[in-house]
Amino acid sequence: MMKKIIAVAVILAIFATFAAGCGSKKVPVIGISQYGEHASLDNCREGFIQGLKDAGLAEGKDFTIDYQNAGFDDDIATQIAQTFSANNVAIMVGIATPAATACFAAAEDKDIPVVFTAITDPVKAKLDKGNITGTSDKLPVDAQLDLIRKIQPEAKTIGIIYTTSEPNSVSAIAEYEEKAPQYGFAIESIGVTQQSEVTLAVDTLLSKGVDCFSNLTDNNVVGVLPSILEKTNEAKVPVYGSEVEQVKIGCVAAAGIDYIALGIQTGKMAAKILKGEATAENMPYETITEFNYYINSAALAEMGLEVPAEIAEKAIESGQ
Amino acid sequence: MGSFFDLVVGTVTQGLIYALLSLGVYITYRILDFPDLTVDGSFPLGAAVAAVLLTRGVSPYLTLIVAMAVGALAGLVTGVIHVKLGVRDLLAGIITMTGLFSINLQIAGSNLAVDRATDTIFTAAPTMALFGAMPLIYRKLVVSLILAVVFKLILDAYFSTQSGLLLRAVGDNSTLVTTLAKDKGSVKILGLVISNTLVALSGAVVCHEQRAFNSTMGTGQVVFGLATVIIGTTLFKNLGFVKGTTAVIIGSILYKACIQVAISLGLPANLLKLITAVLFLIILVLGNRRKSGVNANA
Repeated sequence: MMKKIIAVAVILAIFATFAAGCGSKKVPVIGISQYGEHASLDNCREGFIQGLKDAGLAEGKDFTIDYQNAGFDDDIATQIAQTFSANNVAIMVGIATPAATACFAAAEDKDIPVVFTAITDPVKAKLDKGNITGTSDKLPVDAQLDLIRKIQPEAKTIGIIYTTSEPNSVSAIAEYEEKAPQYGFAIESIGVTQQSEVTLAVDTLLSKGVDCFSNLTDNNVVGVLPSILEKTNEAKVPVYGSEVEQVKIGCVAAAGIDYIALGIQTGKMAAKILKGEATAENMPYETITEFNYYINSAALAEMGLEVPAEIAEKAIESGQ
Repeated sequence: MGSFFDLVVGTVTQGLIYALLSLGVYITYRILDFPDLTVDGSFPLGAAVAAVLLTRGVSPYLTLIVAMAVGALAGLVTGVIHVKLGVRDLLAGIITMTGLFSINLQIAGSNLAVDRATDTIFTAAPTMALFGAMPLIYRKLVVSLILAVVFKLILDAYFSTQSGLLLRAVGDNSTLVTTLAKDKGSVKILGLVISNTLVALSGAVVCHEQRAFNSTMGTGQVVFGLATVIIGTTLFKNLGFVKGTTAVIIGSILYKACIQVAISLGLPANLLKLITAVLFLIILVLGNRRKSGVNANA
């Protein structure tokens, strides 16, 4: 009998704990669901909060943040979004596609506006219609190809590794293949299905004699970047990143989106919704087009490469 | 009603949808004593099939049936690899699961989203005719509850048929099956087929609920299924009147509730799994407390 009582008590306790996060507050709560711990996504989030403040809103007075991280687990992203919905947050923010998809599903009947960021193709992700808006982070492929051409005038082939199941990567590869000939490059790409295959793909591309590697914002690839760089440094083949964090780790250079700026732009859109100046429904999503050049002088020197002055003067030194 | 109630509704709904998967794992792991890893592939398989059919405008109810049929096929493949080709149980599941990753992507193209204008089992006309007065989150709860209860009852009924009894015998005492002059191989195959039918159904319902198929959504689902089966059966093993199938459904709800508690406590993501693990441990220890000590089978 005692055992039954304990069992029932535990079940009750579990459900009672739900109440902890459910107090009714007067200050509007912005629920941020970030798909996982990742430098670019962290930058988006920090930029987002900065954007709200830039729009004249004060944290604690005009809004509070309920930040949750799904640890790259779709099921947890679903439950986080449900928590936001149950707590009737003022706005749900989804950082990266799976988090935004979960928020949009949880917001379906409550009409809670959803704001997303760090999504390459909102149309394909079906996040372009309804009470939803946000910012898209399309890779500046032209600028990247131009950058590689200027740093390596003799290069012929660019190696790219991508995950076949990531729509963002698949559309980026298509764009690379379409535009590479204009810059005199051929693309040698290898699709992988999981992270453990990435280093094998690096070996394959190195044996094919690619002149350099260029990264997409592919989570599987970026996640094992240090071990990629170990192999490529040994082979003296430079790797170009797709954003600042990759250059910090050791890529030679990148024409990349500034994720803080992307976050700020998203934060300003959310501020308009919060102030009642616009609704997510009638605000179309925005694609960021500005990019920065990031260089890592130490990595460049190791490869014996130089950045032409026209780029060097605009570039941001990101090496350690 | 307040937000707390909504949170419980949402959590229980998730638990019920995934309970279909747990019921599938219950058949292989608990009844057949077969650790079937096909689940990590057949779960997203159901979602991939549902997503493709939904985007093509197929009736949402039909998508579930097709997903189940395709899931059954996945179970059949594992069964044939194991029984007819003599591959070990774990490896047979791994082979099917690995192959399914590519097949799922072939079916769906890549990760696939379903437009909000597309009707799902939660929003299609027949569902609306019955439960249209309810807000969507309650409708999701009711539909999930109906699915979980219907399949639980079908399984309960099946277990008391001759075929169902044979299935149970294969796991408990396979020599008996041979003495009865029955082929235990085909019974195992049947069990795998039924199990993966339910797993794929669960994946399809998740796709309806989330309006998305993600190729990596299967990762870790076997572990989830095993945990819910063990939690459920351990917790209720002294309560004879609670059927195994019911216990498993409750196990699934409790699992989702544990995660929900961790989220609601505002814990950092990196600690989420640890807290979930601790909550499981507490539940298991409480359920296991009896004079005979820890049951090694649990």
